[in-house]
Amino acid sequence: MSTEQRVSWSDSFSEAQTAIQSLTTIISSVPPSVSSSDTPAVALLNDPELATQISDHLRQPDSGAGDNQLCRWLYDTFHTSKLDLQLVVLRFLPIVAGMYLSRIPLRKPLAGFEAVLLAIYAHETTSRNGQAMTVNIPDLSHPSVYHESRQPYNNASTDLNQVVVSPGLEPQGTIRSTKRAQIIGVALELYHSRISEIPVQSKVDFCEFCVVWAGEDGEFYKDFPNEDKKDEEDHEMMKEKKEGRILLPWEMLQPMLRILGHCVMGINKKNKELHEAACGACRSLYARAIHDINPKAILAVGSLLKLINYQKACVDHTELPVTRIIHL
Amino acid sequence: MEDRKICGNGGCVQTDTIEAKLNAGNIDEAQSALREGLSLNSEEARALLGKLEYQRGNVENALEVFEGIDVEAAVQSLQAISSDKITKKSRSNSESGPQQGANLLLEAIYLKTKSLQKLNRINDAAEECKKVLDAVEKIFPHGIPDGFVETKLQETISRAVELLPQLWTEAGCYDEAVGSYRRALLTHWNLDNDSCARIQHNFAVFLLYSGVHVGPPTQIEGTYVPKNHLEEAILLLMILMRKFSLGKAKWDPSVVEHLTFALCICSQTCVLAKQVEEVIPGVIHRVQLWKTLALCCDAIKQRKTALNLLQKSLHKHEKPDDITSLLLAAKICSEDGLLAAQGIEYAQRALDNCKNRNKHLKGVCLRVLGICFGKQASVSSSDYERSQIQSQALKSLEEAMDLEPQNSDLVFELAIQHAIQRNLNTALRLSKQYIDVTGGSMPRGWRLLALILSAQQRFQEAEVVTDAALDETAKWDQGPLLRLKAKLRIAQSRHLDAIETYRHLLALIQAQKKSYSQLQTMHQIEDDRVNEYEVWQGLANLYSSLARWKDAEICLGKAREIIECSSETLHSEGIIYQRRGQIDEALATYVNSLLVEANYVPSKISIGAIMSNRSLPMLPVARTMLSDALRLEPTNRMAWLHLGFVHKLDGRLSDAIDSFQAASMLEESDPIEGFNSIF
Repeated sequence: MSTEQRVSWSDSFSEAQTAIQSLTTIISSVPPSVSSSDTPAVALLNDPELATQISDHLRQPDSGAGDNQLCRWLYDTFHTSKLDLQLVVLRFLPIVAGMYLSRIPLRKPLAGFEAVLLAIYAHETTSRNGQAMTVNIPDLSHPSVYHESRQPYNNASTDLNQVVVSPGLEPQGTIRSTKRAQIIGVALELYHSRISEIPVQSKVDFCEFCVVWAGEDGEFYKDFPNEDKKDEEDHEMMKEKKEGRILLPWEMLQPMLRILGHCVMGINKKNKELHEAACGACRSLYARAIHDINPKAILAVGSLLKLINYQKACVDHTELPVTRIIHL
Repeated sequence: MEDRKICGNGGCVQTDTIEAKLNAGNIDEAQSALREGLSLNSEEARALLGKLEYQRGNVENALEVFEGIDVEAAVQSLQAISSDKITKKSRSNSESGPQQGANLLLEAIYLKTKSLQKLNRINDAAEECKKVLDAVEKIFPHGIPDGFVETKLQETISRAVELLPQLWTEAGCYDEAVGSYRRALLTHWNLDNDSCARIQHNFAVFLLYSGVHVGPPTQIEGTYVPKNHLEEAILLLMILMRKFSLGKAKWDPSVVEHLTFALCICSQTCVLAKQVEEVIPGVIHRVQLWKTLALCCDAIKQRKTALNLLQKSLHKHEKPDDITSLLLAAKICSEDGLLAAQGIEYAQRALDNCKNRNKHLKGVCLRVLGICFGKQASVSSSDYERSQIQSQALKSLEEAMDLEPQNSDLVFELAIQHAIQRNLNTALRLSKQYIDVTGGSMPRGWRLLALILSAQQRFQEAEVVTDAALDETAKWDQGPLLRLKAKLRIAQSRHLDAIETYRHLLALIQAQKKSYSQLQTMHQIEDDRVNEYEVWQGLANLYSSLARWKDAEICLGKAREIIECSSETLHSEGIIYQRRGQIDEALATYVNSLLVEANYVPSKISIGAIMSNRSLPMLPVARTMLSDALRLEPTNRMAWLHLGFVHKLDGRLSDAIDSFQAASMLEESDPIEGFNSIF
């Protein structure tokens, strides 16, 4: 892993420098720690101050327009085809997708966001060669590497059950409205496939957008899956109108759930801020799943909520039991 | 309470005494006290001291003590016993001689690892842990001998095997983590069932959620090797489920949750249902089990089974108030006219349970209730009852809308309900609103708008909407829109243009068939694909209306290749006979079509029409047929028209006027396809 990284790093050094150069013309002050870094791509990805600045910029009211310089920068940076610079763009995907989707009904110009999303989609389409992504659902009648007794293959047993996790992709020149969810879903798949390299703050951003997209109050599920406590002080129904609630078709929800699974149970699970954000996102999405009476979502998000609960009562089995009498 | 003490080699030492010495900083004294009291050598005494410090939470002190222990020495002592006969743990819970020494030293190194972990020196900890396992593997190249089972030595080794991958994960060395997980599971470490299950569990979690990519395990001939992390995780979780069933491992409820998550991600709830069913009875509460199974079945569209399961779980002796189950049951019922009444009941029960945590679901309950009412209205046999139920449907949906103005699905349901009740202006406004709030992303929104416009006889505008929708739709998914477009063109009497559109549509279907046969997997957009049968059928009707009998018959032949015996095809055939003047053949064919589907409305109307043209004695037959058709489809314009003729021939002029009026009013609000076709 490390050698591979080093190669791509030296490779992308000059491109990253150029990217930082052009960023200085867009953003008021690029932190010196980034502009003078020996590892510019890493600095671009991880510098928290820079990330805040770019995020603020993306959240400005006119940020998604076709002539927006920052969108242009993200587009160009993605098109360098350097893995570590593409990662910088993916790091901002939650905000780009989030702002984009919440502005659709407002009929604002969004060509800038669309260009970035299409670039990511096109990249994934090419690298997958348009093919569907499939998974073989194991069948225990086939002996596997992890079986205890390994009998030879029984040819009479059933064939493997191959299922599509992500359907085949066709190139798209523009974002047609009926393809929007799929394009964003594919971009999120790419985000998920590199999620272990993405900074935590970006994942927190993602979880916050999940709450917005779900558009439902998750507070009701704070104690899930415990039974509802009766006669408790009344939750005031939030009457405020929730902006940003969007349709969540499976092609978008599925990659969202995979990312969320990572945020709850993955390698950053000990990060408190992320954990809080992810739990909040799960609760909102659970409320939404019931609102939509969507069985798959109810099952999947319900599982995540239960797992969060089990996590609290986790026993460390690698710890030695403490006894009053120690026998040698 | 028992005294805290350390026993071994026939001696006993009070723990407090040693700890007091340690507290005073007299490490050497403490060590010699242990050596003398328990007849240990200095290395062993050190190990024991470290353990004491570790257990007291003085991790830094423990580490200091452990630093003095030579790993090599520990390995050598292990080496020494590898050839000896291994004594099993005796009753007194102690082992003796060299085995005891090896055990103490190995445990010391393990605790050193744990200390390093606690001091957040994760990489050092991992290296240390790996050293132990490397040594053990080297000493026992053919796996740890069975004689070690249930010795303390084995316990320490098992812990180390379990710890190492966790350390690598914490250190961010994911390749090493995966490597050590696989090494733990594929090498003979003589792990007991529970620790093996835990490692499999931890590994599955890592594979499922870490988002890290490491290659698949090495091929072992004749076995199934998972090709990516998702597959490998599911395999491990299934193996764990099997172990639970066989009683080989202690039930861990989180395994089934991980499996649920993984299989839902793959949309394989049918596999999940099988897995859950195989769990030993009593482990999962039966109501929970039924509910899970119902959700699984509903997700794969096995609605009947799902409803059966829900009926069990909602039984009054089980959990009759579970709102998720009530809502799911109501939703399933809302899709079938015969179940709609039952659905209303479920939805109302759900509504009654919108308390506390479920308060926010009131809008959903009302929405489902409204949809159930709508469905119930469609099968209602009396006009009065129908209009009553229809207004209840609207009322429920509007109440839901008050609670959830931001819910776009609700806008759609309300638009459909208004359209069905022919409140076309309201329906039009709502359908436009739906397209706005969904940003035009839902094909059904476009189709509804076009149909409403067609009902207002604004065919040209409807076609413009259809074209706009086609622009927003990828080639592949254009089928249903093209079919709509063809029908709109027919409605404008642009028959040749319509034929052109049908040709286009057929080309699309051919291309789709070819590509889908290559990848024989279910496609998610399958629901949106246009039905080839319907296309041939539509084209046949078009040719027949142009009196191009040959072409029409060819198309019907094609339709028959897909569905051999269908009331619709028979009806089209009847029309051709009728138009060519072969009335008896036509009548026979219509009757046949009713034999296929007793409630097929178009054939009833055609038979009614033919009968009304015969003689007076046939009029009652005609009237029955047409009334029957109207009972099934109260807004059928043609049925009203022919009923008007029957009344007129029978001399009931005022009835005739009413019927004609109904027909003419409906003509002004008839969509080119039923509003129910959009789902």
